[in-house]
Amino acid sequence: MSGLQNPERDPLWREEFSVFAEDEQYVTRRQLAKFLTLTSLAMFAGNAWILAKSLLRRPPVYQDVAIARVGEVPVGGVKLFSYPGPKDPCILVRTGEETYVAYSQVCTHLSCVVFFNASSRRLDCPCHQGSFSVTDGSVIAGPPPRPLPRVVVERRGPDLVATRMEGA
Amino acid sequence: MFGYEFYIDPSRCIGCQSCVKACEECETHRGKSMINFDFIDRPEIIASAAYVCFHCEDPTCAEVCPADAIKKGLDGIVQSALEPRCIGCANCVLACPFGIPKLQAPQELMMKCDMCYDRTSVGKRPMCATVCPSQALSYVTPEIIARTRRETPTNVFQFGHQTVKTKVFMMVPETVDVVSIDVLDYMWEARP
Amino acid sequence: MRPGHSPRRRKAIVVIDGAIALLAILLIVQMWLLSATLESYLRGHHAVVLPAAIVSGVLCLACVGLAAFVMRADRTDREA
Repeated sequence: MSGLQNPERDPLWREEFSVFAEDEQYVTRRQLAKFLTLTSLAMFAGNAWILAKSLLRRPPVYQDVAIARVGEVPVGGVKLFSYPGPKDPCILVRTGEETYVAYSQVCTHLSCVVFFNASSRRLDCPCHQGSFSVTDGSVIAGPPPRPLPRVVVERRGPDLVATRMEGA
Repeated sequence: MFGYEFYIDPSRCIGCQSCVKACEECETHRGKSMINFDFIDRPEIIASAAYVCFHCEDPTCAEVCPADAIKKGLDGIVQSALEPRCIGCANCVLACPFGIPKLQAPQELMMKCDMCYDRTSVGKRPMCATVCPSQALSYVTPEIIARTRRETPTNVFQFGHQTVKTKVFMMVPETVDVVSIDVLDYMWEARP
Repeated sequence: MRPGHSPRRRKAIVVIDGAIALLAILLIVQMWLLSATLESYLRGHHAVVLPAAIVSGVLCLACVGLAAFVMRADRTDREA
């Protein structure tokens, strides 16, 4: 390498730590280019991580959990339960004589707990005025980006059983 | 200022120290004067001399600074030490052939004359040259110097084997043809 | 001044500036791509993740290429 260098040139340390003020800007530009490249690598790493998560995701296995008895909840009433685990709050709404719907209570915006607004018949989030439809959990109003995950509820004899979650 | 140069003529210095006081007034160096004021041989004579930084073309202070704190701009002015970088090692104080940089020990910072950069960069004279009553320190064009002075300016100094070329001129006797001051000639110790 | 030296004027500064500007733009595109991918993935659209990762990789390679160009232009200009 030294054989190819111009013999009149200063050694590298003199160029990097020059006494002339205008030489400082060249070091700064190189540093900036290096920093931006490293940030770009970090962004790519983020995308790669999402890809890895997507590839390695196992479809979740849901247990059947009895959440209520038939007739326990009045029409237009609600019952709170946990599904699939104790830290996953869910809400069961009896919308009609024979129809029950259940959703995760975690708002898809910033994870506040939604409640059933009986007068408007919607699932409202008190934090930022988000609103979900009680028929399919889709977003009616407010900042939530995604619909509420639905808990599939089956009627087995006298019990209402939660079998799986959809859209989680 | 473009076209203007700084000329030092110690033979004109009357020792009033107006330059020292004027330099002290500047806010950029907090009331500390950057003039190097000397009494030549105080017990014997009353002669005095005032010096500013000579702003060498190849500044020794900048070359020896381990923290890369002293920079020279495109206009040839060697700036004082950059405060975030200076570590107060006094390498420049020891290295300067003219003895200009001063170490402010409590601040761990070297401070020296920067040709009143806040003034000269906007077309004003440095403070010392403005107030010097005898114009021992003057900031004028070379034409005015040629017209009004008997002495001739030089900016080449010899320190033993080292030749130092500066931006600031010193006035030397007109009888000297090749104007280069060898400092060793003026020292009282015998040459080896 | 050191013998043979004068205050430096470098020609490559404009080209280097342009390359860095392009680098910044590609980076912004990549940032948007990451956030859009994440949002889609959370919404359950898994099909978009692989093409997004590939595009992000291409953008990253372009950034690396630009940075290498900046380093090379800097060194070439210094040797001139």
